[in-house]
Parts: sequence; structure tokens; C-alpha cells
Amino acid sequence: MKTDRSKEQKFILILTVFACLLFLTGCWGKKEVEDLAPLLGIGFDVGEKPGTFLITQQFARPKKDSSTGSEIEDRTFSIEASSSREAFEKLSKVTYRTPFMGSLKVIIFSEDVAKAGGFNNMLDFAQRYAEFRRSMYLVLAKGKAQDILNLKLRSGLIPAMAIKSNIEGGDEISIFPTVRLGHYLTILGTKSTAPILPVVESVKSGEDMEYKADAKNEAGEIRIQSAGVMRGDNLADFLTDEETKGYMWLENDVIHRLINTVDLEENSVKFGGQVLESRTKYKVKTNNEKKELQYQIKTSIAIDEILGLKKQLSGPEWVELVKEAEKDFAKVIEKECESSIKKQRELGLDFLGIGRHIEQKNSAYWKTIKDQWEEEIADFSVSIEVKVTIHHSGMSSSSATNLVGEGQD
Amino acid sequence: MGTTFLPVASLVTGVGGRDGWMSVLPGFAVGIPYSLMILSLSEQYPRKNLLQISEAVFGKWIGKSLGFYYTLIVVYLGGLLLGQIGDIYQASTMPVTPLWVFFLGGIFLVLFLIKSGIEVFARFSEVVFPLIVIALLLNVGLSVPRIEQGELLPILSEGFKPIFLGATKVIPFVMTYMLFLAGIIAFLPTGKQELSQLKTGVWRIIFLVGILDTFVVLIQLLIFGPAETIRIVYGLLVLGKLVEVSRTVAGVESLFLGVWLSAAVIKIGSLFYAVIWGLESVFGLKGVNWRHAIAVVFLGIAFRFVRGPSLIIEIGLVDEYLIMPFVSLWIPILWGVSRWKRGAGI
Repeated sequence: MKTDRSKEQKFILILTVFACLLFLTGCWGKKEVEDLAPLLGIGFDVGEKPGTFLITQQFARPKKDSSTGSEIEDRTFSIEASSSREAFEKLSKVTYRTPFMGSLKVIIFSEDVAKAGGFNNMLDFAQRYAEFRRSMYLVLAKGKAQDILNLKLRSGLIPAMAIKSNIEGGDEISIFPTVRLGHYLTILGTKSTAPILPVVESVKSGEDMEYKADAKNEAGEIRIQSAGVMRGDNLADFLTDEETKGYMWLENDVIHRLINTVDLEENSVKFGGQVLESRTKYKVKTNNEKKELQYQIKTSIAIDEILGLKKQLSGPEWVELVKEAEKDFAKVIEKECESSIKKQRELGLDFLGIGRHIEQKNSAYWKTIKDQWEEEIADFSVSIEVKVTIHHSGMSSSSATNLVGEGQD
Repeated sequence: MGTTFLPVASLVTGVGGRDGWMSVLPGFAVGIPYSLMILSLSEQYPRKNLLQISEAVFGKWIGKSLGFYYTLIVVYLGGLLLGQIGDIYQASTMPVTPLWVFFLGGIFLVLFLIKSGIEVFARFSEVVFPLIVIALLLNVGLSVPRIEQGELLPILSEGFKPIFLGATKVIPFVMTYMLFLAGIIAFLPTGKQELSQLKTGVWRIIFLVGILDTFVVLIQLLIFGPAETIRIVYGLLVLGKLVEVSRTVAGVESLFLGVWLSAAVIKIGSLFYAVIWGLESVFGLKGVNWRHAIAVVFLGIAFRFVRGPSLIIEIGLVDEYLIMPFVSLWIPILWGVSRWKRGAGI
């Protein structure tokens, strides 16, 4: 009896060791890190043949003469294929490393692909295949995605990494939306809200800025600015910079912002400042028996630039100036928000998520309008209340001025 | 606790929508009266499991028929859950590893635990349970930065109906635990003080598991929104992939998966025990060879369902249509008849 028991124990022990060997070595899926090609970015353009895409894949490879060992170069391929898997299959024929999708930072859709539709089909691989993470960023490209990924940036960064860094540093200026794959899919699930994606574009010297380019007529810088609004699977339109900024306020996405009142015509003194913090709330209220969504934006700003101030201020004047700045900044914010709301009405697309806000605050009312929401968007009443508080005006109370008569207007 | 935390969010949100998360705790609370009835029967029939008690109360043939059905459903569910280990691992982290590796690995671990006896099994669960709780809390807590604005609202816009509907999806899990409790009571002490401790334990564990699973559903709703929570097969695994600490630590989903594997082993192990008790009570079959035979049956069922979607649908059907109606009727009727017989002096 005892021998039987000991035999059985031995048998189970051997089986367990065998099981551990099978489980712990990872022999089936094992890949040495040097055999992997970390994927950093994918770009989608329209292919030449109907129904195909030009899929550009940007991989990282360690720099051979790197002093730190952590520097990377890019290895970028463009392949025409009708699906992502087909593109990877074609790629596998020329590379000896296995693509690793877990490192993917950004997916870029060209303007043409986004307009042509089939956008969600192209995303299916990324949301289904387990190696991908939903934290990757989605962007639209002005022009071709392939051109963006093939840029030789003056900073030396790989374009996919430059886009990632720009997006992650975006909190400093809050002028474009940050859209991760997970967020995009969540917005798609709401049905009433139109998804929005930030726009990336290359910047040549002379386009808004000048710099000493490495090669003539070639862009050496990259910029993320404004956004594109999707209607279902297609790009409906691009937002202007001002409309995108309005979206950011209304969506409570402003963390910090650099803001100025230079474009306000009514005042001679102009202010520049930094948003320290901002909070947007909304409520559904009844106005003359009509429902209305009211946005309440509360923001704190620090003034760090004043233009056109011609004299030294007394204490009370200083306080008055700050109050004037509060009003001016509020006007700028209102203007940005109004332009965004105007665009939403023109497009008939709820990219501001007003329908969801109504549903959140007054679900009973939402049930009565949700079926005809697309028609309601153009007329639905929206009001904005902006309250700006200036925390300080920097290190000085007045600007430096000359004595009267010496160079003063 | 089993592995409820893996499918629960998709199930309750599927029927209860945005308010589905509120149904988890009430659904689990249904387990309290059932557990108390089982403990009350144990007090009346010390050292007997519910199958033996059924024979004593309903007579031999009804009792044996109930035992036969009990054995069939626990062996079937056990095999399906073994298959699910393969599905989870292959779909999430080890795509090219053959399914048989997971099936064999899983069944060896279960066999080893079964071989060590019920006490070692209990100790193993005692050690692993805190790890599961910590892993769940870490997974939930570290996912907080990914929360989307306003996904929780509106609350109760459809009234209390979603809570009721969601609870119907949670109750089958609770009923599966009752199947195990129905067997293990034969090993539990029946003294007055111990019974009182057991009753307190029931309340405590049901609320603990209910609250944990509520968090699991809530965080998925807050991050994915209702439509995505329903669509994602194993939401918690996707959450594990999203965990990122200071943009430095990422890709820790495999660590979480290791803990989920031990939870699955406990659940399959408990069903394995239930099969052993069923075979013993109904057919008088005991011994090592029968255990190996059960393992072979488990493997056979797992290999029968290598198609992931079929497996997931089948588990749902077994839970909802084979286990829930059976347990929800069997235990109250058994308890009621036994009380009536005692009252009538039969």
C-alpha cells in the first residue's frame, strides 16, 4: 500500500516537473529580444490598386556606433496590401526579425484613407491582436502617412517617436486632442458622438517658421495641430486651430495652455499668459421652455506678457489691469468655444459630445430626442459661461517704459 | 471566487448596460440564503454531503438521480474551464503554444492538488486568495489613469431593471460555488461554535468577493465604456495590458495572468473534488484510478472545445441553463422537505 502511494507520488511529481518544464521555458512562443523588430509606427495610405492600402511600418533598430547603447535608428518599409496581416506577411519575406507589435506608439492615417472610408477595418487588427496595447496614439496626417514616417527630422528623432513625444508633451499647451486607440473605440461605442483625431503634418522651412533645413525643399520638422472629425468611417472635415482649441475647452481637456489676447481688437493693451488650471462643467437647464446645455468654464491664468502698456501703474491701476485681463482672456476663450460650436452645427456632427452630456445630466429628456439627434444638433441651444481668475502678473506690476517723450508714441 | 472576475463585466454589462455594475453585489448576495440552508442541512446531517442528504430525504432513487445529474454537470463544467485556460493564454500572451500544453499543465496541477488532499487544497486556496485579491486591486488601481470622463453617467436611467437583469448573470456563478459547498460540508465541523463561525465566514466572503467583482466591472465600465465592455471577451486581460507606471513599467500582464491561472486551478480543482464526491456518493467509486479517469474526461471535454467562441458560449449555457435552475431548486426544496420531515417527525 505504502509502495503504491510512493509510486503514485513519484509519478505525479515527474508529471508536475514535466508540466513546469513545458510551461516555464516558453519554448513555443519564445523569441530572443535581438530577434525582435520593435514596431514604432504604422501609416496607412490609399494603395494604387483598388481596395488596397499602402501600409508603412516603422521599426526601431539599435544604432551600431551608439555611445550609450540606447540610441535607435529607424527601418521603414512601405508595402501595398489589402490588410494589415498581408502587409506583415510581405514584410516577413525581407526581414529576418519578427515584428513586435507591443511597442507600437502611433498609427497614422492619411487624409485620403480617412476620406475613403474603411478606417475601422484598418484598426481591427490593432484592437484584436493581443500583442497590441490600447494605449497607442491615433493621428491623421495632412498629406501622406508614408511621407510623415519617412521624414528625416532635424532633431534626429524617428518620426513615430517624435509624434509620440509631441503628443505626450501636449498637456503643456492643450491645443490638440490626445486620442489613444482605447479612447477612440470608447467614443465609437457611444454612437451619438463623432470621433475626433489630431492632425500631424510636416513643416518645411518658410511654412509658419524658418529654420536651416538639411536638404533643400524637404521638411525637417513635424507639428501636431488641429483635428479631423469623423463621420462614421470617413473623415468629414478638418477643424481649424481655433475650433480645435474651443473643443479642448468644452471637453475639459485643457491642462495648461499658452494664451494671448492679441487678436482682440477692442483693447490697446494685449495680454499673454499661461493657463495654470482649468475646469469645465456643464448642466442641462430649461430656458423659455427650451432645453439648453450650459458650459461653465473656470480657469486660472498667470499673466506673463503685457503689450502696449505705456506707463508705470499705481497699485489700484495694477488691480484694474488684472481685472481687465480677466475679461479679455474670457472673451478669447468664449470666441474659441463659439467657433467650435458653430463648426459642430455646420457639420451636423456631435464631435463635442453634447448628446452624451445631455444623456448624463438628463437621461429622460435624452430619450425623447436621441433618435433625431442628428437633426437636433444644428439647433440645440448651447450657452457658455467663462470665469477667468488671474493668479498673478509675473514678476512685475508694470512694463518697462521710457520717460515720456523719449520714444513713446 | 473562482474566475468570475474574467467574464463578469462583459456579462452583466451585456444585459444591464451602464448600470450593470450595480448588480454584482446583489447577485452574489443570493448566495447567502443558499449557503445558510446548506449549513443548516449540515447541522442536521453531520459529516454528510448534500448528495447523501438528498438520498436520506428524498429516497434512494431520487437521491441517486440528483447525484448523477450533479456529477454530470460538475464534470462537464470542470472540463470546459480547463479548456478555458488554453483559450485565455493562447488569445492573450502565448499565441503559438499548443492548447494541449495548457490543458495538460492545468490538469497536472489540479491532480497534484487533489492528490495532496482536501486540507492542502484549502491551504493552497488560503495562500493564493490574498494574491488574487492583491493582483485584482493592483490591476484596478493602476488602471485608474485610463478612466474616461463621464462613462458612469447616467445612473439608474433605466430604473432598477438593469440591476435585476445583471444579477441573473451573476447568480449562476454563485450557484456553481454552492455545488462545491454541497460536497465539502461533509468535511466541515458541525459544532455550534464552528457553525456560527462558518455562517459569519459566508457573509464575509460573499461580500468581499461581491465588492471585488463590483470594482472589476466598474473599472472596465469607466475605462472602456459599456459598448466596449460588452465586446471585449476578457476585459481584465486588456486592462492588464494597459497598466503602465510612470511610462516605465509596462507589459506586466503576464504577471497578472500567473495569478489568474492559480484562480482557475482552484476552481477546476473544486469541481474535480465535486466529481469525486459525486462518483463516491452515487456509484460508490473511489480510488486513484477513478481520479485519473476523471482527469482524462476533463481533458476530453477540453479537447472537444478547442474552438474558443464555442467554449465561451458553452460555459455560459452550462452556467445558466444546467447549473442555475438545478441548484436554485434543489437546495431550497431539500432544505424545506428536510425541515418539514423533521417537524412532522418522519
